[in-house]
Amino acid sequence: MGLWFVIGGILPYLALLVGVGGLISRILRWARAPQHLHWELFPYPSTPAGQTGELLAEVFTLRSLYSYNLRFWLPSLTMHYGIYLVILWMGLSALGVRDTAVAGAAGGVLAVAGAAALVVIRAARRETRQITAPVEYLNLALVMAIGLSGLITGWFLQPEAFRRYVIGLASFSPVLPAAEQLAPILFLEVFLLYLPFSRMAHFAAKYFTYHKVKWGEMAR
Amino acid sequence: MRKVFDDYRALSDQAIQARSPRRAAFLEAMGKSLRSGENRAFWLPYVLSLDMCMKCGTCAEVCPLYLSSGRNALYHPVYRSDMLRKVYRRYFTLSGKLFPKVVGAEDLTEEKLDAMAENFYRCTVCRRCAYVCPVAIDNGLLAREGRKIFDAIGIAPDELKEKGTRLQLEAGNATGVKTPAFRDMVEFMEEDLQDTRGYQVQIPVDKKGAEYLVMHNTGDYPAFSETVMGAAEIFQAAGADWTVNSPDTGINDVVNYGVFFSDTEFEKVARAQVRTVRELGARVLVIGECGHAFEAMKYLIQRLIPAEERPFEVKSILEVYDEWIREGRIELDPAKNPEPVVYHDSCKAGRLGGLYEEPRRILKSACLDLREMTPNRELSYCCGGGSGFAIMSKGDFLKFRMETYGKIKEEQIRQTGAGVVALACSNCKGQFRDIINYYHLPVRIAGISELVANALVRGRDRRSEGITFAQAGGGSAAREVREDHDHRGVVASPAREGDPRPGFQERA
Repeated sequence: MGLWFVIGGILPYLALLVGVGGLISRILRWARAPQHLHWELFPYPSTPAGQTGELLAEVFTLRSLYSYNLRFWLPSLTMHYGIYLVILWMGLSALGVRDTAVAGAAGGVLAVAGAAALVVIRAARRETRQITAPVEYLNLALVMAIGLSGLITGWFLQPEAFRRYVIGLASFSPVLPAAEQLAPILFLEVFLLYLPFSRMAHFAAKYFTYHKVKWGEMAR
Repeated sequence: MRKVFDDYRALSDQAIQARSPRRAAFLEAMGKSLRSGENRAFWLPYVLSLDMCMKCGTCAEVCPLYLSSGRNALYHPVYRSDMLRKVYRRYFTLSGKLFPKVVGAEDLTEEKLDAMAENFYRCTVCRRCAYVCPVAIDNGLLAREGRKIFDAIGIAPDELKEKGTRLQLEAGNATGVKTPAFRDMVEFMEEDLQDTRGYQVQIPVDKKGAEYLVMHNTGDYPAFSETVMGAAEIFQAAGADWTVNSPDTGINDVVNYGVFFSDTEFEKVARAQVRTVRELGARVLVIGECGHAFEAMKYLIQRLIPAEERPFEVKSILEVYDEWIREGRIELDPAKNPEPVVYHDSCKAGRLGGLYEEPRRILKSACLDLREMTPNRELSYCCGGGSGFAIMSKGDFLKFRMETYGKIKEEQIRQTGAGVVALACSNCKGQFRDIINYYHLPVRIAGISELVANALVRGRDRRSEGITFAQAGGGSAAREVREDHDHRGVVASPAREGDPRPGFQERA
């Protein structure tokens, strides 16, 4: 019971603090970087609308992979859509939207399938194997662990339980969920603790690599 | 030379300091490169590229070196970047200190250091990989940051440093030519133009307060003189108030090899160039046909030298021609260049400089049959001359350039069926000249200026069409010219042989 309380009632706060705080501090570090010399690549979208359009296209279609590295595209797209759906499931469920179980389940399935496929194509080819360190597999394993545990324990199918848990945390009187949901919550906490120190923060880094470096600011 | 990485060597044993321990100095210099205050020029893109690579290998799928080498694992862009990343993780990150095996951190050894130094000089920093990377990670930048660290501990190719930036700062140009010899060359060109064109073209030298200061790569004077002479004809035809400058005025060479390997060297050269332009009082600095010089003066200096310290405009010679053609200030007859011409996008002028349409508009006006390589523009393959490689040929380095990057361009040129490769960059010209010789291609290279000059409609041609120089903005120099000529003999002249430097010394 003691351990369960640590995982369900204490660690969530720590994970959020480290995850969100760490990410913010990392973003601030990038944002406060000395202004580097112009290093843009042409052509690039020079209007806010154009830049937003290209950003969304990249986030939702992974266009670069589709155009230049097709082998990775579908697995990666599958995994990312799985992650987007799980995040959507968490947000909607916490807000009390009903019938989100489909999103949760679909998200879990896609994330696991995509991550597993990425492990396979990474390991199957000599070229990618050679540039891969164990940490790449660990990152994918973590995504799979969250997805699989959420599916197996039925966590993704119980938005009401998730909402009760979030409300408990938000009111600083955690209501511990059923013991079998320990696994997905623990993996999620590990993910949050790990996020700011890993390249999983690439979603935030992309803003800087695109908007601040690749796209420059001198319209031609 | 012994083998330290692959079958080639860009750095001599002497340059690489093969017999002395360099590991500690390297780590110290790398530590500095990672502190934002000590690497202000590129800290952000540098740390993002070190930390955020997802190892998807998309870069490799577009890297001209990797693809042309038969997907040689040594030339995988991530393999090169990882040489630096492994050291970064091992010595500068907590995870790498605690779990080196897990995160791919490795100890740095003297042998690895040799291999790293060489490998950083296998990438031309064409940045094709950065253009397509889903996370916009820049392997080219990492190669350049690696070179910066090596330069900080005294390891750099002679061609770029001792005989490059250092010579340029001392002599005014990276060819080492002094003013009398420079003036001789200019006079020789004026005579050459008189002989081949049959009319007088003046090349003003060191004129103060001219509107345009045209600064070429000084190596172009001996090696690609058609480009320099072509530019003179065009500026005269446009009636421009212009000048070139001699070493007497400071720096008379637009190149800046610091772009390739060192921010420190880059800044020294750039400041000296800016000082020269200011002292000459030119309103516009025209960058001759040199890709990296355009990147340097148009973009890189923007945040380095405050605007008030550089009271002049910077334009590529391509932008100037493009404007003049569109304004009708110069008139061209494309029938004078009837051969099929293909334009190669220099990485520095194109992907890094944004000049895609200017050269195409110019060449469409100047040539009858303009063709395209595929792919082109932002996806153009680097020719292999970039990063100063075109002037590096010790050991088997020429073979490296030819058998990798060069092979792609050879194939591309053949497919177009063009007889002329039009180029806007000296490094590209050097590389294509070597490619043509190495692969015995039935084509020749031509500078944009050369093709434009050859297509010029001058004097009587224009008057017969009811256009006068005054209307076309022609100045006094242009008005002196009254003869009419057949230019065909010049079109067919082959590109001159020889490396810029030896060629130059012969004549100097």
